[in-house]
Amino acid sequence: MKKILQLALGIITSVGGFLEVGSVTTAAQSGALFGYQLLWAILLGTLCLIFLVEMSGRLAAVSKHTVVDAMRERFGFPFFFIVLVGIVLVAFMVLVAELGGIGFGIQILTGVGFPWWAVPVSLLVWLLMWKGTFSLIENGASLLGLVTLSFLVSALKLHPDWSGVTSALLPSMPGSDKAKYGFLAVSILGASISPYLMYFYSSGAIEDEWDSSYIPINRFIAGFGMIFGGVLSMAVLVVAALALQPKGIQVDTFPQAALMMTTALPRWGFYLFAFSMIFACFGAALEVSLAIAYFFSQGFGWRWSEDLEPSKNSRFAFVYTVIVLLAAIPLVFGIDPIKVTMMSMALTSFTLPLAIVPFLLLMNDPIYLGKYRNGWISNSVVSIVVVISFVLALISIPLEIMGG
Amino acid sequence: MPAKRFFLLTILFAAACKPPTPAEQMDTVVSWVSTARMAGDAWLRHTTPDKYTSQTLQLSDQMLLQTGSELLKSPPPTIDSAAFDRALTSTRFNISEMSRFVKAKDASQFRQPWDSVLIYMKIMKDFSDKVESSK
Repeated sequence: MKKILQLALGIITSVGGFLEVGSVTTAAQSGALFGYQLLWAILLGTLCLIFLVEMSGRLAAVSKHTVVDAMRERFGFPFFFIVLVGIVLVAFMVLVAELGGIGFGIQILTGVGFPWWAVPVSLLVWLLMWKGTFSLIENGASLLGLVTLSFLVSALKLHPDWSGVTSALLPSMPGSDKAKYGFLAVSILGASISPYLMYFYSSGAIEDEWDSSYIPINRFIAGFGMIFGGVLSMAVLVVAALALQPKGIQVDTFPQAALMMTTALPRWGFYLFAFSMIFACFGAALEVSLAIAYFFSQGFGWRWSEDLEPSKNSRFAFVYTVIVLLAAIPLVFGIDPIKVTMMSMALTSFTLPLAIVPFLLLMNDPIYLGKYRNGWISNSVVSIVVVISFVLALISIPLEIMGG
Repeated sequence: MPAKRFFLLTILFAAACKPPTPAEQMDTVVSWVSTARMAGDAWLRHTTPDKYTSQTLQLSDQMLLQTGSELLKSPPPTIDSAAFDRALTSTRFNISEMSRFVKAKDASQFRQPWDSVLIYMKIMKDFSDKVESSK
Protein backbone atom coordinates (compact mmCIF):
# COMPACT_ATOMS: atom_id res chain seq x y z
CA MET A 1 0.00 0.00 0.00
CA LYS A 2 2.84 2.34 0.93
CA LYS A 3 4.51 1.69 -2.42
CA ILE A 4 1.28 2.29 -4.36
CA LEU A 5 0.93 5.63 -2.61
CA GLN A 6 4.57 6.44 -3.40
CA LEU A 7 3.94 5.50 -7.02
CA ALA A 8 0.89 7.77 -7.29
CA LEU A 9 2.68 10.60 -5.54
CA GLY A 10 5.77 10.10 -7.70
CA ILE A 11 3.73 10.37 -10.90
CA ILE A 12 1.81 13.41 -9.63
CA THR A 13 5.01 15.17 -8.58
CA SER A 14 6.66 14.37 -11.91
CA VAL A 15 3.71 15.96 -13.70
CA GLY A 16 3.56 18.96 -11.37
CA GLY A 17 7.32 19.41 -11.52
CA PHE A 18 7.83 18.93 -15.25
CA LEU A 19 7.24 22.41 -16.58
CA GLU A 20 9.73 25.14 -15.79
CA VAL A 21 10.82 28.38 -17.37
CA GLY A 22 12.81 26.65 -20.13
CA SER A 23 10.08 24.28 -21.27
CA VAL A 24 7.37 26.99 -21.14
CA THR A 25 9.47 29.58 -22.98
CA THR A 26 10.77 27.27 -25.71
CA ALA A 27 7.36 25.64 -26.29
CA ALA A 28 5.55 29.00 -26.37
CA GLN A 29 8.07 30.54 -28.78
CA SER A 30 7.90 27.47 -31.02
CA GLY A 31 4.10 27.38 -31.11
CA ALA A 32 3.86 31.12 -31.78
CA LEU A 33 6.33 30.95 -34.68
CA PHE A 34 5.88 27.53 -36.25
CA GLY A 35 2.48 26.28 -35.09
CA TYR A 36 2.51 22.56 -34.23
CA GLN A 37 5.60 21.89 -36.33
CA LEU A 38 8.08 21.46 -33.45
CA LEU A 39 6.02 19.00 -31.41
CA TRP A 40 8.42 16.24 -32.51
CA ALA A 41 11.26 17.93 -30.58
CA ILE A 42 9.25 17.76 -27.34
CA LEU A 43 8.41 14.11 -28.04
CA LEU A 44 12.07 13.24 -28.66
CA GLY A 45 13.26 15.19 -25.61
CA THR A 46 10.65 13.52 -23.39
CA LEU A 47 11.59 10.06 -24.67
CA CYS A 48 15.25 10.70 -23.89
CA LEU A 49 14.38 12.06 -20.46
CA ILE A 50 12.30 8.97 -19.58
CA PHE A 51 15.31 6.72 -20.16
CA LEU A 52 17.78 9.00 -18.37
CA VAL A 53 15.57 9.43 -15.30
CA GLU A 54 14.80 5.71 -15.13
CA MET A 55 18.51 4.91 -15.31
CA SER A 56 19.50 7.37 -12.61
CA GLY A 57 16.80 5.94 -10.29
CA ARG A 58 17.91 2.37 -11.07
CA LEU A 59 21.56 3.20 -10.40
CA ALA A 60 20.65 4.63 -6.99
CA ALA A 61 18.27 1.80 -6.05
CA VAL A 62 20.70 -1.00 -6.97
CA SER A 63 24.14 0.41 -6.20
CA LYS A 64 23.14 2.85 -3.40
CA HIS A 65 25.23 5.41 -5.26
CA THR A 66 24.03 8.67 -6.70
CA VAL A 67 25.13 9.45 -10.27
CA VAL A 68 27.73 11.89 -8.91
CA ASP A 69 29.10 9.44 -6.30
CA ALA A 70 29.51 6.72 -8.88
CA MET A 71 31.03 9.07 -11.45
CA ARG A 72 33.69 10.34 -9.07
CA GLU A 73 34.47 6.83 -7.81
CA ARG A 74 34.62 5.25 -11.28
CA PHE A 75 36.42 8.00 -13.26
CA GLY A 76 38.46 9.74 -10.58
CA PHE A 77 38.42 13.26 -9.23
CA PRO A 78 40.21 15.11 -12.10
CA PHE A 79 37.62 13.97 -14.65
CA PHE A 80 34.81 14.58 -12.20
CA PHE A 81 36.06 18.14 -11.68
CA ILE A 82 35.74 18.93 -15.41
CA VAL A 83 32.16 17.65 -15.37
CA LEU A 84 31.46 19.64 -12.22
CA VAL A 85 32.59 22.92 -13.77
CA GLY A 86 30.52 22.41 -16.94
CA ILE A 87 27.37 21.20 -15.24
CA VAL A 88 27.42 23.74 -12.41
CA LEU A 89 27.94 26.70 -14.74
CA VAL A 90 24.93 25.74 -16.84
CA ALA A 91 22.82 24.81 -13.81
CA PHE A 92 23.61 28.22 -12.32
CA MET A 93 22.29 29.93 -15.46
CA VAL A 94 19.17 27.76 -15.30
CA LEU A 95 18.72 28.84 -11.66
CA VAL A 96 18.97 32.52 -12.67
CA ALA A 97 16.33 31.88 -15.34
CA GLU A 98 14.01 30.09 -12.87
CA LEU A 99 14.26 32.88 -10.30
CA GLY A 100 13.60 35.35 -13.12
CA GLY A 101 10.54 33.32 -14.15
CA ILE A 102 9.14 33.58 -10.61
CA GLY A 103 9.88 37.32 -10.60
CA PHE A 104 8.10 37.80 -13.91
CA GLY A 105 5.07 35.85 -12.70
CA ILE A 106 4.84 38.20 -9.73
CA GLN A 107 5.53 41.24 -11.92
CA ILE A 108 2.59 40.63 -14.22
CA LEU A 109 0.32 40.22 -11.19
CA THR A 110 1.54 43.25 -9.26
CA GLY A 111 3.08 45.58 -11.82
CA VAL A 112 6.26 45.78 -9.73
CA GLY A 113 9.33 45.01 -11.90
CA PHE A 114 10.98 41.59 -11.57
CA PRO A 115 14.37 42.96 -10.38
CA TRP A 116 12.65 44.02 -7.16
CA TRP A 117 11.53 40.43 -6.55
CA ALA A 118 14.91 38.80 -7.12
CA VAL A 119 16.18 39.05 -3.54
CA PRO A 120 12.88 38.24 -1.73
CA VAL A 121 12.28 35.26 -4.02
CA SER A 122 15.84 33.97 -3.52
CA LEU A 123 15.45 34.30 0.23
CA LEU A 124 12.17 32.38 0.12
CA VAL A 125 13.77 29.58 -1.92
CA TRP A 126 16.69 29.50 0.50
CA LEU A 127 14.41 29.52 3.57
CA LEU A 128 12.45 26.53 2.27
CA MET A 129 15.67 24.59 1.74
CA TRP A 130 17.02 25.65 5.14
CA LYS A 131 13.87 24.73 7.07
CA GLY A 132 12.20 22.13 4.85
CA THR A 133 12.69 18.43 4.35
CA PHE A 134 13.29 16.65 1.06
CA SER A 135 9.73 15.33 0.84
CA LEU A 136 8.25 18.75 1.59
CA ILE A 137 10.30 20.28 -1.22
CA GLU A 138 9.72 17.43 -3.66
CA ASN A 139 6.02 16.95 -3.02
CA GLY A 140 4.91 20.40 -1.88
CA ALA A 141 6.39 22.36 -4.77
CA SER A 142 5.32 19.78 -7.32
CA LEU A 143 1.73 19.63 -6.01
CA LEU A 144 1.51 23.41 -6.38
CA GLY A 145 2.92 22.94 -9.87
CA LEU A 146 -0.22 21.00 -10.81
CA VAL A 147 -1.70 24.41 -11.66
CA THR A 148 0.20 23.94 -14.95
CA LEU A 149 -2.51 21.43 -15.91
CA SER A 150 -4.39 24.58 -16.96
CA PHE A 151 -2.28 24.54 -20.15
CA LEU A 152 -3.78 21.16 -21.01
CA VAL A 153 -7.32 22.41 -20.29
CA SER A 154 -6.64 25.46 -22.49
CA ALA A 155 -5.30 23.32 -25.32
CA LEU A 156 -8.38 21.07 -25.24
CA LYS A 157 -10.73 24.06 -25.09
CA LEU A 158 -9.13 25.51 -28.22
CA HIS A 159 -10.06 22.31 -30.16
CA PRO A 160 -6.76 21.61 -31.91
CA ASP A 161 -6.69 19.91 -35.29
CA TRP A 162 -5.69 16.43 -34.12
CA SER A 163 -4.45 15.28 -37.51
CA GLY A 164 -2.12 18.30 -37.58
CA VAL A 165 -0.95 17.53 -34.05
CA THR A 166 -0.18 13.88 -34.80
CA SER A 167 1.57 14.63 -38.09
CA ALA A 168 3.79 17.16 -36.28
CA LEU A 169 5.13 14.35 -34.10
CA LEU A 170 7.37 13.45 -37.03
CA PRO A 171 10.14 15.93 -37.92
CA SER A 172 9.64 18.17 -40.94
CA MET A 173 11.41 21.24 -42.29
CA PRO A 174 9.73 24.67 -42.44
CA GLY A 175 9.36 26.64 -45.67
CA SER A 176 11.35 29.57 -44.27
CA ASP A 177 13.27 30.64 -41.14
CA LYS A 178 15.21 27.36 -41.05
CA ALA A 179 17.90 28.77 -38.73
CA LYS A 180 15.33 29.91 -36.17
CA TYR A 181 13.52 26.58 -36.47
CA GLY A 182 16.77 24.69 -35.83
CA PHE A 183 17.66 26.84 -32.86
CA LEU A 184 14.24 26.34 -31.31
CA ALA A 185 14.50 22.57 -31.82
CA VAL A 186 17.88 22.66 -30.08
CA SER A 187 16.47 24.75 -27.23
CA ILE A 188 13.48 22.43 -26.74
CA LEU A 189 15.80 19.41 -26.51
CA GLY A 190 18.09 21.30 -24.14
CA ALA A 191 15.11 22.26 -21.98
CA SER A 192 13.83 18.67 -21.86
CA ILE A 193 17.08 16.77 -21.27
CA SER A 194 18.47 18.75 -18.34
CA PRO A 195 21.32 16.86 -16.63
CA TYR A 196 20.50 18.42 -13.25
CA LEU A 197 17.32 16.31 -13.21
CA MET A 198 19.37 13.08 -13.19
CA TYR A 199 21.44 14.29 -10.24
CA PHE A 200 18.39 15.48 -8.34
CA TYR A 201 16.43 12.29 -9.03
CA SER A 202 19.22 9.89 -8.02
CA SER A 203 19.93 11.92 -4.87
CA GLY A 204 16.21 11.82 -4.06
CA ALA A 205 16.18 8.04 -4.45
CA ILE A 206 19.01 7.79 -1.90
CA GLU A 207 17.24 10.29 0.42
CA ASP A 208 14.11 8.10 0.19
CA GLU A 209 16.22 4.96 0.84
CA TRP A 210 15.28 3.11 -2.33
CA ASP A 211 16.47 -0.46 -2.84
CA SER A 212 16.13 -2.87 -5.76
CA SER A 213 12.47 -3.54 -4.84
CA TYR A 214 11.79 0.01 -6.08
CA ILE A 215 12.88 -0.74 -9.64
CA PRO A 216 9.32 -1.31 -10.98
CA ILE A 217 8.09 1.84 -9.18
CA ASN A 218 11.01 3.79 -10.58
CA ARG A 219 10.12 2.58 -14.07
CA PHE A 220 6.47 3.63 -13.70
CA ILE A 221 7.32 7.03 -12.22
CA ALA A 222 9.91 7.78 -14.91
CA GLY A 223 7.62 6.50 -17.67
CA PHE A 224 4.19 7.83 -16.78
CA GLY A 225 5.36 10.92 -14.93
CA MET A 226 7.55 12.10 -17.79
CA ILE A 227 4.97 11.19 -20.47
CA PHE A 228 2.28 13.25 -18.72
CA GLY A 229 4.83 16.03 -18.19
CA GLY A 230 5.74 15.93 -21.88
CA VAL A 231 2.04 16.19 -22.75
CA LEU A 232 1.87 19.38 -20.66
CA SER A 233 4.83 20.80 -22.55
CA MET A 234 3.09 19.95 -25.82
CA ALA A 235 -0.05 21.65 -24.51
CA VAL A 236 1.90 24.90 -24.03
CA LEU A 237 3.05 24.70 -27.64
CA VAL A 238 -0.47 23.93 -28.90
CA VAL A 239 -1.99 26.83 -26.95
CA ALA A 240 0.63 29.24 -28.34
CA ALA A 241 0.03 27.85 -31.84
CA LEU A 242 -3.72 28.40 -31.61
CA ALA A 243 -3.92 31.60 -29.57
CA LEU A 244 -0.84 33.57 -30.64
CA GLN A 245 0.33 32.38 -34.06
CA PRO A 246 -2.85 33.40 -35.99
CA LYS A 247 -2.45 36.93 -34.60
CA GLY A 248 1.23 37.05 -35.55
CA ILE A 249 2.32 37.45 -31.90
CA GLN A 250 5.83 36.18 -31.21
CA VAL A 251 6.90 35.38 -27.68
CA ASP A 252 9.86 37.74 -27.24
CA THR A 253 8.88 38.71 -23.68
CA PHE A 254 6.91 37.22 -20.79
CA PRO A 255 4.10 39.82 -20.99
CA GLN A 256 3.32 38.49 -24.49
CA ALA A 257 3.32 34.89 -23.26
CA ALA A 258 0.95 35.89 -20.45
CA LEU A 259 -1.82 36.45 -23.00
CA MET A 260 -1.75 32.92 -24.39
CA MET A 261 -4.44 31.43 -22.12
CA THR A 262 -6.80 34.43 -22.21
CA THR A 263 -8.51 33.11 -25.36
CA ALA A 264 -9.31 29.62 -24.05
CA LEU A 265 -9.96 30.60 -20.44
CA PRO A 266 -11.10 34.23 -20.69
CA ARG A 267 -11.84 34.69 -17.02
CA TRP A 268 -8.89 32.94 -15.36
CA GLY A 269 -6.36 32.37 -18.14
CA PHE A 270 -4.13 35.32 -17.29
CA TYR A 271 -3.95 34.47 -13.58
CA LEU A 272 -3.47 30.76 -14.25
CA PHE A 273 -0.51 31.61 -16.48
CA ALA A 274 1.01 33.83 -13.80
CA PHE A 275 0.59 31.22 -11.07
CA SER A 276 1.83 28.46 -13.39
CA MET A 277 5.02 30.43 -13.95
CA ILE A 278 5.45 31.19 -10.25
CA PHE A 279 4.88 27.64 -8.97
CA ALA A 280 6.61 25.79 -11.81
CA CYS A 281 9.69 28.01 -11.61
CA PHE A 282 9.67 27.89 -7.81
CA GLY A 283 9.76 24.08 -7.83
CA ALA A 284 12.48 24.08 -10.48
CA ALA A 285 14.55 26.69 -8.58
CA LEU A 286 14.48 24.43 -5.50
CA GLU A 287 15.46 21.39 -7.56
CA VAL A 288 18.33 23.14 -9.36
CA SER A 289 19.71 24.68 -6.14
CA LEU A 290 19.62 21.32 -4.39
CA ALA A 291 21.08 19.55 -7.43
CA ILE A 292 24.07 21.92 -7.35
CA ALA A 293 24.51 21.39 -3.59
CA TYR A 294 24.26 17.59 -4.07
CA PHE A 295 26.80 17.79 -6.88
CA PHE A 296 29.39 19.59 -4.77
CA SER A 297 28.77 17.57 -1.62
CA GLN A 298 28.79 14.17 -3.28
CA GLY A 299 31.76 15.09 -5.45
CA PHE A 300 33.90 16.32 -2.57
CA GLY A 301 32.75 13.59 -0.20
CA TRP A 302 30.95 15.87 2.26
CA ARG A 303 27.96 14.82 4.32
CA TRP A 304 24.75 15.65 2.47
CA SER A 305 21.02 15.29 3.04
CA GLU A 306 18.18 17.74 2.75
CA ASP A 307 16.59 15.92 5.70
CA LEU A 308 19.47 16.76 8.06
CA GLU A 309 19.66 19.96 10.09
CA PRO A 310 21.89 22.53 8.30
CA SER A 311 24.25 22.45 11.30
CA LYS A 312 24.83 18.74 10.68
CA ASN A 313 25.80 19.17 7.03
CA SER A 314 26.99 22.73 7.01
CA ARG A 315 28.99 22.54 3.76
CA PHE A 316 25.94 21.22 1.87
CA ALA A 317 23.82 24.07 3.29
CA PHE A 318 26.60 26.58 2.54
CA VAL A 319 26.63 25.64 -1.16
CA TYR A 320 22.89 26.16 -1.70
CA THR A 321 22.95 29.34 0.35
CA VAL A 322 25.74 30.88 -1.74
CA ILE A 323 24.34 29.66 -5.06
CA VAL A 324 20.82 30.99 -4.46
CA LEU A 325 22.05 34.38 -3.31
CA LEU A 326 24.53 34.69 -6.19
CA ALA A 327 21.78 33.84 -8.69
CA ALA A 328 19.77 36.84 -7.52
CA ILE A 329 22.53 39.31 -8.46
CA PRO A 330 22.15 39.33 -12.29
CA LEU A 331 18.39 39.68 -11.85
CA VAL A 332 18.75 42.66 -9.55
CA PHE A 333 20.67 44.34 -12.38
CA GLY A 334 17.78 43.64 -14.76
CA ILE A 335 19.22 40.85 -16.94
CA ASP A 336 16.49 39.54 -19.26
CA PRO A 337 15.38 36.10 -17.96
CA ILE A 338 14.13 35.05 -21.42
CA LYS A 339 17.60 35.64 -22.90
CA VAL A 340 19.22 33.78 -20.00
CA THR A 341 16.74 30.94 -20.50
CA MET A 342 17.44 30.57 -24.21
CA MET A 343 21.20 30.81 -23.68
CA SER A 344 21.16 28.24 -20.87
CA MET A 345 19.08 25.82 -22.94
CA ALA A 346 21.59 26.07 -25.80
CA LEU A 347 24.54 25.65 -23.42
CA THR A 348 22.84 22.63 -21.87
CA SER A 349 23.41 20.87 -25.17
CA PHE A 350 27.17 21.44 -24.74
CA THR A 351 27.18 19.80 -21.34
CA LEU A 352 25.08 16.79 -22.37
CA PRO A 353 27.96 14.73 -23.82
CA LEU A 354 30.02 15.51 -20.74
CA ALA A 355 27.27 14.24 -18.50
CA ILE A 356 25.87 11.39 -20.58
CA VAL A 357 28.93 9.52 -21.94
CA PRO A 358 30.31 8.67 -18.47
CA PHE A 359 26.77 7.94 -17.28
CA LEU A 360 26.29 5.43 -20.09
CA LEU A 361 29.56 3.69 -19.14
CA LEU A 362 28.41 3.53 -15.53
CA MET A 363 25.06 2.06 -16.49
CA ASN A 364 26.87 -0.84 -18.21
CA ASP A 365 29.26 -1.53 -15.36
CA PRO A 366 28.44 -4.85 -13.62
CA ILE A 367 30.30 -3.69 -10.49
CA TYR A 368 27.61 -1.05 -9.91
CA LEU A 369 24.52 -2.62 -11.42
CA GLY A 370 25.09 -6.38 -11.65
CA LYS A 371 22.17 -7.99 -13.45
CA TYR A 372 20.33 -4.65 -13.54
CA ARG A 373 22.74 -3.02 -15.98
CA ASN A 374 21.44 -1.51 -19.22
CA GLY A 375 19.93 -3.65 -21.93
CA TRP A 376 20.24 -2.88 -25.64
CA ILE A 377 17.15 -0.67 -25.74
CA SER A 378 18.40 1.65 -23.00
CA ASN A 379 21.89 1.70 -24.52
CA SER A 380 20.55 2.48 -27.97
CA VAL A 381 18.34 5.30 -26.75
CA VAL A 382 21.11 6.82 -24.65
CA SER A 383 23.56 6.47 -27.55
CA ILE A 384 21.10 8.35 -29.74
CA VAL A 385 20.91 11.01 -27.03
CA VAL A 386 24.70 11.29 -27.07
CA VAL A 387 24.77 11.65 -30.86
CA ILE A 388 21.97 14.20 -30.77
CA SER A 389 23.67 16.14 -28.02
CA PHE A 390 26.95 16.21 -30.01
CA VAL A 391 25.07 17.57 -33.01
CA LEU A 392 23.26 20.03 -30.77
CA ALA A 393 26.57 21.18 -29.33
CA LEU A 394 28.00 21.75 -32.78
CA ILE A 395 25.08 23.68 -34.21
CA SER A 396 23.47 25.47 -31.29
CA ILE A 397 25.73 28.52 -30.95
CA PRO A 398 25.87 29.56 -34.65
CA LEU A 399 22.15 28.84 -34.88
CA GLU A 400 21.50 31.02 -31.88
CA ILE A 401 23.43 33.89 -33.46
CA MET A 402 21.70 33.46 -36.82
CA GLY A 403 18.31 32.91 -35.23
CA GLY A 404 18.69 36.05 -33.14
CA MET B 1 47.90 27.68 -40.99
CA PRO B 2 46.43 28.71 -37.62
CA ALA B 3 46.17 32.30 -38.88
CA LYS B 4 44.29 31.12 -41.97
CA ARG B 5 41.92 29.09 -39.82
CA PHE B 6 41.36 32.04 -37.53
CA PHE B 7 40.62 34.24 -40.55
CA LEU B 8 38.10 31.73 -41.92
CA LEU B 9 36.43 31.36 -38.52
CA THR B 10 36.21 35.15 -38.20
CA ILE B 11 34.52 35.40 -41.59
CA LEU B 12 32.10 32.61 -40.70
CA PHE B 13 31.29 34.24 -37.37
CA ALA B 14 30.79 37.65 -39.00
CA ALA B 15 28.48 36.08 -41.59
CA ALA B 16 26.50 34.40 -38.83
CA CYS B 17 26.18 37.64 -36.82
CA LYS B 18 23.88 39.22 -39.35
CA PRO B 19 21.35 41.80 -38.15
CA PRO B 20 17.63 40.96 -38.42
CA THR B 21 16.31 41.07 -41.99
CA PRO B 22 13.59 43.60 -42.97
CA ALA B 23 11.11 40.69 -43.09
CA GLU B 24 12.00 39.73 -39.49
CA GLN B 25 11.72 43.36 -38.42
CA MET B 26 8.28 43.64 -40.05
CA ASP B 27 7.21 40.44 -38.25
CA THR B 28 8.30 42.06 -34.98
CA VAL B 29 6.26 45.18 -35.77
CA VAL B 30 3.15 43.09 -36.52
CA SER B 31 3.77 41.07 -33.36
CA TRP B 32 3.83 44.13 -31.11
CA VAL B 33 0.78 45.78 -32.71
CA SER B 34 -1.12 42.49 -32.24
CA THR B 35 0.13 42.25 -28.66
CA ALA B 36 -1.28 45.71 -27.92
CA ARG B 37 -4.60 44.77 -29.50
CA MET B 38 -4.83 41.46 -27.60
CA ALA B 39 -3.83 43.06 -24.29
CA GLY B 40 -6.53 45.67 -24.88
CA ASP B 41 -9.10 42.98 -25.64
CA ALA B 42 -8.28 41.15 -22.41
CA TRP B 43 -8.49 44.40 -20.41
CA LEU B 44 -11.91 45.24 -21.88
CA ARG B 45 -13.12 41.83 -20.67
CA HIS B 46 -11.80 42.69 -17.17
CA THR B 47 -9.50 39.66 -17.19
CA THR B 48 -6.12 41.39 -16.74
CA PRO B 49 -4.94 43.91 -14.14
CA ASP B 50 -4.65 47.61 -15.11
CA LYS B 51 -0.93 47.75 -14.34
CA TYR B 52 -0.08 44.76 -16.49
CA THR B 53 -2.12 46.19 -19.38
CA SER B 54 -0.63 49.68 -19.24
CA GLN B 55 2.91 48.27 -18.89
CA THR B 56 2.39 45.92 -21.85
CA LEU B 57 1.01 48.79 -23.95
CA GLN B 58 4.01 50.96 -23.04
CA LEU B 59 6.35 48.10 -23.91
CA SER B 60 4.59 47.67 -27.27
CA ASP B 61 5.05 51.40 -27.95
CA GLN B 62 8.76 51.23 -27.08
CA MET B 63 9.36 48.14 -29.20
CA LEU B 64 7.51 49.69 -32.15
CA LEU B 65 9.62 52.83 -31.86
CA GLN B 66 12.85 50.82 -31.68
CA THR B 67 12.07 48.31 -34.45
CA GLY B 68 10.39 50.89 -36.70
CA SER B 69 13.36 53.27 -36.44
CA GLU B 70 15.79 50.49 -37.34
CA LEU B 71 13.62 49.46 -40.28
CA LEU B 72 13.36 53.02 -41.56
CA LYS B 73 17.15 53.44 -41.57
CA SER B 74 17.28 51.19 -44.64
CA PRO B 75 13.68 50.56 -45.71
CA PRO B 76 13.01 47.68 -48.07
CA PRO B 77 12.29 48.92 -51.62
CA THR B 78 8.94 47.10 -51.80
CA ILE B 79 7.26 49.38 -49.28
CA ASP B 80 6.48 53.09 -49.34
CA SER B 81 8.63 54.19 -46.40
CA ALA B 82 6.74 57.48 -45.90
CA ALA B 83 3.44 55.59 -45.71
CA PHE B 84 4.97 53.07 -43.31
CA ASP B 85 6.33 55.89 -41.14
CA ARG B 86 2.87 57.54 -41.01
CA ALA B 87 1.19 54.24 -40.12
CA LEU B 88 3.76 53.56 -37.44
CA THR B 89 3.33 57.01 -35.89
CA SER B 90 -0.47 56.64 -35.85
CA THR B 91 -0.26 53.14 -34.38
CA ARG B 92 2.03 54.33 -31.61
CA PHE B 93 -0.27 57.30 -30.92
CA ASN B 94 -3.29 54.99 -30.56
CA ILE B 95 -1.40 52.60 -28.31
CA SER B 96 -0.34 55.53 -26.10
CA GLU B 97 -3.97 56.63 -25.95
CA MET B 98 -5.01 53.12 -24.93
CA SER B 99 -2.42 53.18 -22.16
CA ARG B 100 -3.70 56.58 -20.99
CA PHE B 101 -7.32 55.37 -20.82
CA VAL B 102 -6.29 52.21 -18.96
CA LYS B 103 -4.66 54.36 -16.30
CA ALA B 104 -7.84 56.49 -16.18
CA LYS B 105 -9.93 53.25 -16.06
CA ASP B 106 -12.06 54.67 -18.89
CA ALA B 107 -13.26 51.71 -20.97
CA SER B 108 -15.63 53.73 -23.16
CA GLN B 109 -12.87 56.12 -24.33
CA PHE B 110 -10.47 53.18 -24.64
CA ARG B 111 -12.53 51.54 -27.39
CA GLN B 112 -11.84 54.16 -30.03
CA PRO B 113 -8.01 53.83 -30.14
CA TRP B 114 -8.39 50.08 -29.60
CA ASP B 115 -10.57 49.87 -32.76
CA SER B 116 -8.03 52.00 -34.64
CA VAL B 117 -5.22 49.65 -33.66
CA LEU B 118 -7.12 46.83 -35.39
CA ILE B 119 -7.07 48.84 -38.62
CA TYR B 120 -3.34 49.54 -38.28
CA MET B 121 -2.72 45.90 -37.48
CA LYS B 122 -4.12 45.04 -40.92
CA ILE B 123 -2.08 47.82 -42.57
CA MET B 124 1.11 46.56 -40.94
CA LYS B 125 0.27 43.02 -42.00
CA ASP B 126 -0.02 44.26 -45.60
CA PHE B 127 3.41 45.92 -45.33
CA SER B 128 4.78 42.70 -43.88
CA ASP B 129 3.29 40.61 -46.72
CA LYS B 130 4.87 42.94 -49.29
CA VAL B 131 8.30 42.59 -47.67
CA GLU B 132 7.84 38.83 -47.36
CA SER B 133 6.85 38.44 -51.01
CA SER B 134 9.97 40.29 -52.15
CA LYS B 135 12.29 37.85 -50.38
